[in-house]
Amino acid sequence: MPELRLKSQHKSSPAVSPPPGTGTGKPLSVTDLRKTYSGVTAVDTVSMEIAGGEFVTFLGSSGSGKTTTLMMIAGFCEPDSGSIVVGGRDVTRLAPQKRGLGFVFQQYLLFPHMSVWENVAFPLQLRGVPKAELRRRVGETLEIAGLSAMARRRPRELSGGQQQRVALCRALVYRPPVILMDEPLGALDKKLRDQLQTEIKRIQQELGLTVIYVTHDQEEALVLSDRIAVMRDGRIDQFDTPRELFERPRTPFVADFLGAANFLPGTVQQRPGDGAQTLVRLDTGGLLKARPQAGAEGARVRAAVQPGRLRLCTPGDGFCTGTVETVTYVGTLVRVTVRPAGDADTGLVRLELPAGRAPVIGEQVSLAADPDDVSVFAVEGGG
Amino acid sequence: MAGSVLAPAPPAPGTKAPAASQGRLRRALSERRTRFGLLNAAPVVVYLLVLFVYPIFSTLLLSLKSEDGGWTLHWYADALQGSNLKVLLTTLRISAETSLLSLVIGFLLAAAVSRLKPLWAGLVMVIVIVPHFISALVRTYGWIILLGEHGVINNALTDLDVPGAPFQMLYNELGVVIGTTSVMLPYTVLLLYAVMKGIDRRLPAAAASMGAGRLTIFRRVYLPMVAPGLVNAGILCFILCLGYYLTPALMGGPKQTMVAALISEQVMKQSQWNGAAALGIILLLLTFAGLLLLRLIKAVSETAKNRGTS
Repeated sequence: MPELRLKSQHKSSPAVSPPPGTGTGKPLSVTDLRKTYSGVTAVDTVSMEIAGGEFVTFLGSSGSGKTTTLMMIAGFCEPDSGSIVVGGRDVTRLAPQKRGLGFVFQQYLLFPHMSVWENVAFPLQLRGVPKAELRRRVGETLEIAGLSAMARRRPRELSGGQQQRVALCRALVYRPPVILMDEPLGALDKKLRDQLQTEIKRIQQELGLTVIYVTHDQEEALVLSDRIAVMRDGRIDQFDTPRELFERPRTPFVADFLGAANFLPGTVQQRPGDGAQTLVRLDTGGLLKARPQAGAEGARVRAAVQPGRLRLCTPGDGFCTGTVETVTYVGTLVRVTVRPAGDADTGLVRLELPAGRAPVIGEQVSLAADPDDVSVFAVEGGG
Repeated sequence: MAGSVLAPAPPAPGTKAPAASQGRLRRALSERRTRFGLLNAAPVVVYLLVLFVYPIFSTLLLSLKSEDGGWTLHWYADALQGSNLKVLLTTLRISAETSLLSLVIGFLLAAAVSRLKPLWAGLVMVIVIVPHFISALVRTYGWIILLGEHGVINNALTDLDVPGAPFQMLYNELGVVIGTTSVMLPYTVLLLYAVMKGIDRRLPAAAASMGAGRLTIFRRVYLPMVAPGLVNAGILCFILCLGYYLTPALMGGPKQTMVAALISEQVMKQSQWNGAAALGIILLLLTFAGLLLLRLIKAVSETAKNRGTS
C-alpha cells in the first residue's frame, strides 16, 4: 500500500479551484502511468479513458497495482511518469486538495469530532457555499442515502455500514467530476456488503456519478461496474464490460479470475475448409470446437470453459467423457466435478448444472460446450 | 479479592421506602461477600482517613480558629488583603503563564514526536521524561548555571555581541516561568502525545481529498481533535503550578513569591499556623475550581456538539 502523502500547499485555504467544467473533455484520462517502489514496479504503463457517468472498477488481487493507480489519480502518491487529466486539466503534479475529486476510504475516515451533518457539510464549507444552499444540498444528499434521521449523530454512534454511507455522502455532496472508492465495503460483512452495493449502484445511477472503484471481489465488480479493468502485476490485463470479460476473456488470467474457468490442454487442429471454428484436439483425445481465434495449426494451447457453460450430453456427442467424482448442492445449482478419461494430466473438470439434472457420483458422463463459450489461449501466454 | 468489586452498591439515601432500603442494607451487610469486600477496602479507607481526611479537616479547623480559641474568618480576610492578595494574584499569573508556555512547547514537541517512527518517538520521549526522575533541586540549579548573569547563555550572547546582553533571566518572572515550564513539560507532552497518537493520520488525507488545504486541515480537523487534550493538560499544569514551591523560590525574586513560599514563610519564620492554614485552604479551593472548570468545559462542549449545526 502506498503511504498517503500530502503535498505541501503554501497558500492558505479555502483555495479550492472550481471543479473542472464539464464538456471540456473526458472526466478522466490516464496515460502511461508508472510507479516503482524501491525497484519493484507497482504500476506499469497503465492507460485508460473513462466516460462521464461511467462506473469503472479496478479489479485485482493484492499487489496488482489497483490501489496504487487509484492513489496516483487521487494525488496521494506521485507517479514516476505518465499523466492524469481530469476534465481536460492536467493534474498529474497537483496536490490532492487541488484536484477536486472525491474519495471514499475503506476505513470511512469520518471526522470523529463532527456530527454526520457537519461531516457532509465540511467540503461545502471549504468551497464557501452559501448557508441556505449548503443546508439544502446536505439535506438532499443525506436524504438520498437514507441518513436524514441520523444527521445529528456522531460517527462513533453509527454502524459500519452507516458510517460508510456518510463517507459516500461526504464525497459526492460537492459533485466532484470523479469519485474514487478504495475498497469501501472491504470492512463490512457479506450481507451488509450486498445491501450497500445495491445502494451505491442506485445512487451512482440516480445522480449520474462517474466512479472509479477498487476491489478484489469479482462478484462485487460484476454487480457494480459498467466496465472492469482487470489488473495483474501492475498492468491492465483487460478493460471491458463485465459481459465481454466473462464471455471473451483475452488472457487465461482473466478467464480464471472472473469465471474460475476450466483449462483443458490440447493442440490446435484446424481442419481445412472449416474456417468458421477453431478446432482443438484435447489431450484427453476428444475434439473441442471453439469460436474462431488466432492460433497456428499444431500449436499447444489451453482451452478455457466456464463451469456454468458446460453441459452433459449423450455419449458420443461431447468432447470428453469422464467419471463424476463429487456432487455438491448449492441452492438451485449443483457443482459437479468430473475426472476426464484419457489423460491423467488433465485436471478435474468443474461443472455447474441446474439442480434438476444432477448426475450421481460414479456415473459415466459426456461433456459438451457451445463453441462460442470456448476460449483458446496459447500455452506460452503464461498464467 | 474480587469481593470489593462485586459487592452490590449500598442503596442511595433518601429512597422512597426507607424500611425496605434499610432491609436491603442489612441484607447486603449480612452477605459474606459484602463483608469480605468491606474488609478488603478497610486498609485504604483507614489510610485515606488518617493521611487525607484528617489533615484537611484539621487544617480547615485551624484556619477558622482565632487566637483566643473562638471561630473567625479573619485569617481568610488577611490572606485576601494587601501583600498576601498580591502573592495570590502573582501565583495565578505565573501559573497561567507557565501553563500557556508548557502547552505551546508541549504541543509542538508532542506533534513532532507523534510523526516520528516508533523507535525515534520512544527515544525522544525518554529524553523528555528522564529529567523528571532527577531531583527538581538539581534541575533548578542546572537552570541557574545556564541562565545566570555569567551563565552559559549570557556568556555566549555577550561573545556574539548581541545588543543588550547579558540579559537578566534569573530572579525575575522570566526565570520562574522558564524553570517551572521545564518541570511541567513532561506532563503536557505526555498528555498531548497520548491524544495525538490516537488521531488517525489518514484523517488529514481524507480532508485533503475533499479540498482542504493544510491550514484548514489543522484548524478544522487536527486542532479540534487535540483540543480536549489541550484543556486537560493546561488545567493539570495550572493546578500543579499553583502549589509549586521549589523552582519559584530558587529562581524568582521577592516579587515572584508564590503561595507555597508564603505558607512556608508563615510557618517557618512567623509560626503563623492559622494564616498558613487559610492560605492552604484557599489553594485547595483554587484547585477544586480548576477541576470544576475542566468539568464545565467538557459539559459545555458536549452540549454544543450535541446541538450540532442543523
